[in-house]
Amino acid sequence: MIDSSGEVQESFTKIDKLIHEPSRYMLMAYLYVVEVADFLFLLRQTGMTWGNLSAHLSKLEAAGYVVIEKEFVGKKPHTTVRLTDQGRNAFEEYRGNMKRVLDNLPV
Amino acid sequence: MVEEISLKEIQRKVYMTFFEDGLWDIFLGLFILGWGLSILTEAVYLPGVFFTGIYFTIWGIKKWLTYPRIGYARFSATSRRRITARFIILGVVVMLVGVMVAVMWGIGKRPQWLADYFPLIFNGMLAAIVCLVAYWARVNRFYLHAALIFLGAVFHMWLGVRWEFGFIGAGSIIVLIGVGILVIFLRKYPKMVEEAQNSDRQ
Repeated sequence: MIDSSGEVQESFTKIDKLIHEPSRYMLMAYLYVVEVADFLFLLRQTGMTWGNLSAHLSKLEAAGYVVIEKEFVGKKPHTTVRLTDQGRNAFEEYRGNMKRVLDNLPV
Repeated sequence: MVEEISLKEIQRKVYMTFFEDGLWDIFLGLFILGWGLSILTEAVYLPGVFFTGIYFTIWGIKKWLTYPRIGYARFSATSRRRITARFIILGVVVMLVGVMVAVMWGIGKRPQWLADYFPLIFNGMLAAIVCLVAYWARVNRFYLHAALIFLGAVFHMWLGVRWEFGFIGAGSIIVLIGVGILVIFLRKYPKMVEEAQNSDRQ
């Protein structure tokens, strides 16, 4: 049986560093509550710069957490982003681990 | 971090983007205005024409005006089902009440209080629906719209203002509010093109 401090330590080690970064956490949170969002929507909601948003999404895409689809609407490019099942599970697990860590901290 | 960024708060922000451009205010205002004009001109089809005509126009305008400025997000399937279910329930309740009133009216068995207070009850129901939208979408200014709609009947009942003018007045004010919000929205969010800025991803 793991004691409280052991649980905290275990939860700490399980925390997904990729999601833990505030900007990426915010992106994951937005994508968690919607089915799909376009690049511009995420840009407006998060207040990031184009380059910043692009870089964070690339990291999430490389981890298999999001799918980025590019298409053309007329002659204009349009990028949509959605959370994969793997990303959704990772996000839920991250939240669970963070909650356990925070709940077990001494007041 | 988990406590700082609440998912509910994010969901609320996403819902609010739907109303940020003021187009749904304009839609509601024009619909109410249409109702007033239909009573004034006795053209009973006007609210229906206004409702469908403006509804589809608003969607078209959103694609052209709103999405290039603040982007687009589709709610999750669960959220969409919840929203649809709410509006179906609301529609059924309104329809049942409408049928009940029409039948009572038709067979001449309407209670006197219904005849006396019909404008108040009718506007009250419309206002209640708008309040529900305000509550579900958490857009507080829709409570003001509901109050304006209800006030139209109050003015009619106690100040002798013609019922249709209450609708026309409330509808016009709501349209003006919507136009004001739209102007602020257009100034706040210039159109953005993905092309150049997003090219570093390609």
